[in-house]
Amino acid sequence: MPTKSIGEEFLKGFWKENPIFRQLLGMCPTLAVTNAMINGLAMGLATAFVLIFSSLVVSSIKKLIPSQVRIATYIVIIATFVTIADRFLAAFFPPISKNLGPYVPLIVVNCIILGRQEAFSSKNTVGRSLIDAFGMSLGFILGLLILSAIREILGFGTFFGFQVMGQWFKPWIIMILPPGAFITLGILLALALQIERKTKARR
Amino acid sequence: MEIIALFFSAILINNFVLHYFLGICPFLGVSKKIDSALSMGLAVTFVMSITAAVSWAINHWILIPYQLDYLQIVSFILVIASLVQLVEMFIRKISPPLYQALGIYLPLITTNCAIFFLALMAALKNYNFIETVIFGIGSGLGFTLAIILMAGIREQLDLADVPEALKGAGISLIVAGIMALAFLGFSGMIK
Amino acid sequence: MNLSARMIAVLTSVGLLSGGFLSTVGLLTKERIALNKQKEIEEAILAVVPGTESSQKLYEEKDLSIYGGKDEDGNLLGFAIHASGVGFQDKITLMFGTNASLTRITNLTILDQKETPGLGAKITDRESFLKYWENKDCSQPLSLRKPPAISPEDLSSSEVNTITGATISSESVLNTVNLSLERLKRLKTEGKFAIEERNAN
Repeated sequence: MPTKSIGEEFLKGFWKENPIFRQLLGMCPTLAVTNAMINGLAMGLATAFVLIFSSLVVSSIKKLIPSQVRIATYIVIIATFVTIADRFLAAFFPPISKNLGPYVPLIVVNCIILGRQEAFSSKNTVGRSLIDAFGMSLGFILGLLILSAIREILGFGTFFGFQVMGQWFKPWIIMILPPGAFITLGILLALALQIERKTKARR
Repeated sequence: MEIIALFFSAILINNFVLHYFLGICPFLGVSKKIDSALSMGLAVTFVMSITAAVSWAINHWILIPYQLDYLQIVSFILVIASLVQLVEMFIRKISPPLYQALGIYLPLITTNCAIFFLALMAALKNYNFIETVIFGIGSGLGFTLAIILMAGIREQLDLADVPEALKGAGISLIVAGIMALAFLGFSGMIK
Repeated sequence: MNLSARMIAVLTSVGLLSGGFLSTVGLLTKERIALNKQKEIEEAILAVVPGTESSQKLYEEKDLSIYGGKDEDGNLLGFAIHASGVGFQDKITLMFGTNASLTRITNLTILDQKETPGLGAKITDRESFLKYWENKDCSQPLSLRKPPAISPEDLSSSEVNTITGATISSESVLNTVNLSLERLKRLKTEGKFAIEERNAN
């Protein structure tokens, strides 16, 4: 397995195996919380926290877990870190916790996290698993930020809450509503596929 | 009256797929044929109704009386996972034809965020037992409705000339967006 | 160790560890979370019943809680009513304040809503909606002005403004306020708060 260099292991999360655009994982939070950049960022950071710590724990105790009960064990570990993230947000950042609402607990069923444990952390060393988790998290955050930037700029005329569009701009309210999420992500996926096809053709 | 409003708002207004973005994976994955979409929808509705009842019982008889609210996430996810297993074994024993129809979809449901969200939402909104069950059934039917409509459109879409890059998930998401737009029309129907 | 014993051992120890860990986290954050919730309510009470020094919950039922706001001498300044009702998308939770004799609405604030951004969500906006609720006569049920008036002076004392393009959201706020006012008045004549006021004096 360790044929990739450390750098490649880290960078694959950004493009080649980007969770959102290439693997289509974690669609629920991707669509639901990207109506404003601050929500997208908070969600991305919470997910990153859970992913990194779950990978750390799973890769360190992987030899102890019998394969028949591995999924159940992973879920308990993930749910533990999700609860911590959820309580932390509720205690120290109540407005964000209120905005994200039940989508923070939903990180438990985010396929990216369970998927990385099953596909990577259970087979690799602690160091590599951490690098993988960091890369994937950053790739996920990047995806959330791109999507929420498009939706916030077009839907509110703001970027991270700062007005960027002039007075002439009439916000496209549809972009912050559910249809806007589906359509923007659909177009972005097509764009990602098109870029991938073009680069492949050139090679 | 409020119960009826809750039921219809779960199907049409706060549709799990088109409003809360839940269960997108099966929504995109199992929506190629109308009959498999129907089976998936029914399996989800079935598990949702049971989950609603069980999660309510756990929340009100164990978590709240003993002030274990911080165990909510862990206990809900474990209950759902084991419940799906039990339902699978139960259906296989009781009704083989039903198992044949729903069988392969049941394991997929464990990882379906819609079920987990249902348990959380019912706890968050403080629904009583009947409201929770009605909410569960309504949400399940809403999911079924969305996935069947999607399958119907995708069966037609196979014959259409879609740009290469949009094929698959891209065009499905855009179609879902247009459906969500249509469903926005139901908002405000219930007063 | 055979396999099933190991399976049980691993699952139990993971479960116990996570349970123990979470109970610590739960204990550490519990107070703060409760405090945040309380702070939100208290800030809202202060906003709708100006001058409140201390507040007390007088009554509670599903979708309706009533608080009494008192000044530093313990005199009842007014009531703060925390209520929710069905809006355009989902429930709207709001709080409004009245004077002690229940004849005037002092102010209104929206605590939680999921209305359409840019349209129904304007109910949280002071300029376009909330300012038309300040200091209204509520001895009779309030009514909605449609089409909307341009400035607060154009409205009669028991009228509030509609948001253009979001009649349902405006109506639902109005209904929630009217219904809970009616309920509050009935509770008051039934004498549910009599003890409280005596204590206050």
